[in-house]
Amino acid sequence: MAKEQDLVVRRRGWVTADFFTHDYRISGQVDVRHRPLADQLNDRTTSYLDVEGVYISPIDRPGEITASYPISSLLKDNITMVVLARQEDGLSKKQTYGSYFGTYLREVFLTIPGFEVRGLLQMSGKLDLRAVLAIGTDRFIPILDGTIFATLNPKIQFTGGIILVNKDVIGAICIPEEG
Amino acid sequence: MARILVIDDSADLLDMMRLILAKRGGHQVVLSADPADGLSKALADPPDLAIIDVMMPGITGYDIVRRLREQPQTAEMPILILTARGQPIDRETALQVGADEHMAKPVMPADLLAKVDELLARRRGAPEERAGRILTLLSLRGGVGVSTLVANLAVVLAGGTPDVVALFDMNPASGQLALHLRVKAERTWASLRDASPDPALLEQITIRHASGIHMVAAPFSPLYADRLTGPTVEAVLAFLRGRFEAVLVDAPPLLSSGAMAALNASDLVFLVLSPEVGAIQAALAALHALQGMRSRLFLVLNQVQEQPPLPMSAVERALKRPPDAVLPFEPAHRTALARGVPLALEQPQASYVQALHRMAVAAVERLAASTE
Repeated sequence: MAKEQDLVVRRRGWVTADFFTHDYRISGQVDVRHRPLADQLNDRTTSYLDVEGVYISPIDRPGEITASYPISSLLKDNITMVVLARQEDGLSKKQTYGSYFGTYLREVFLTIPGFEVRGLLQMSGKLDLRAVLAIGTDRFIPILDGTIFATLNPKIQFTGGIILVNKDVIGAICIPEEG
Repeated sequence: MARILVIDDSADLLDMMRLILAKRGGHQVVLSADPADGLSKALADPPDLAIIDVMMPGITGYDIVRRLREQPQTAEMPILILTARGQPIDRETALQVGADEHMAKPVMPADLLAKVDELLARRRGAPEERAGRILTLLSLRGGVGVSTLVANLAVVLAGGTPDVVALFDMNPASGQLALHLRVKAERTWASLRDASPDPALLEQITIRHASGIHMVAAPFSPLYADRLTGPTVEAVLAFLRGRFEAVLVDAPPLLSSGAMAALNASDLVFLVLSPEVGAIQAALAALHALQGMRSRLFLVLNQVQEQPPLPMSAVERALKRPPDAVLPFEPAHRTALARGVPLALEQPQASYVQALHRMAVAAVERLAASTE
């Protein structure tokens, strides 16, 4: 039986995430009982992601819910990023198990259409930003402890323990000078 | 005991809420998985508090709150929005539509019960604003047991009363307080990007331990050190002192602008040293740099080694004064840290804890004298 402090109020086996497309924020639940969300997003055998209980907000009014539907399918190509509260809800298995060995975190700044993203990128070996974007088959890269700012209205911010960013929409990836 | 209505379309969550609110909180709980039904129940027989989800089919939690606020019988009813939509903009929206509070799922039961208690107390007209004391613990040399001291002093000062003491771990290089209390710090002061952070954000990063001690934790990563500027520290302390009777600051081992802001805001500064040459030199340097606040300095000699390298007489000679408190060596700290339970919680009769009690009494007397 779980200890009192381990209990959390949430739907078992499902994770709630904010999915961003170019014009919308879509909050919904994904079944992660069999596969973590990152693995589902990076699965190249399907172009779609099934999301239940979606609540839709226009990107310029992200707190307002303008529509809701019990079932939806999102086209992965058009998901620019996914924001999750907790890192463990978003990391893939290969990123979770033993992956911290030989890696380090670097602060990064990304631009994607309509947004700027700041956070930490887990890297290994030589610092090579091109490799981050080019190597590997994963479509979404995890930014840890990240914050998103709307480019035209920086007061609109989203924070997450992990932000999965679609590599195909990244305009620039930058790292600040080490202090 | 209060009567609490929970409206949420998730059966799992309703089961959990019954367990938490009824069994642990001792409240009478009314559950509704259907938002329209929940709204009818609230209007027909208004509860003492309503906890409402946002994302529900047919009618959102925001719509329910708006409708409840339109009716005289529920216009003043405390409402807590509990939602997986946990962004600052969502909190803003929840408060705009008329909710009293917003919490993001997943939520820890202790945090939920604390928020429920707070809302119920607010309804009873309990005072919202406190004017807590700020007590900063500082050493310019690491390894003298400051974080251990902070964690245990918090337990001693709280004296078993929940929600009266808060901790602020300012250490920029992977702070230890979360470890001492085995708290999972998902949100830390690394989230503070503005000099004047939003109170909602400050509330989000203030974690509640099962003992009722609250904490603004330090990030695990050392990359955020520059976020604790003077104005940010002032804002955090103003927020905490408005809500707690005592705020204990675990200051970083340097006099940065953030550390100076904490020291300037402090009612009392505990300067901690151990009986060895390096720590004494660091204490002398701190005493020299902080001579403007000499009346607020409280010197603590912490015996962190079983065999102290220097005798007390040598320490007093070097400092040209006796310490205000002496804490004995305590080997059980190591296991306490490993288990994430401060010694003061598990072994209140330990000589270290007893010495802490005496130190707390002396500190309170010093504070009383300074305000006379």
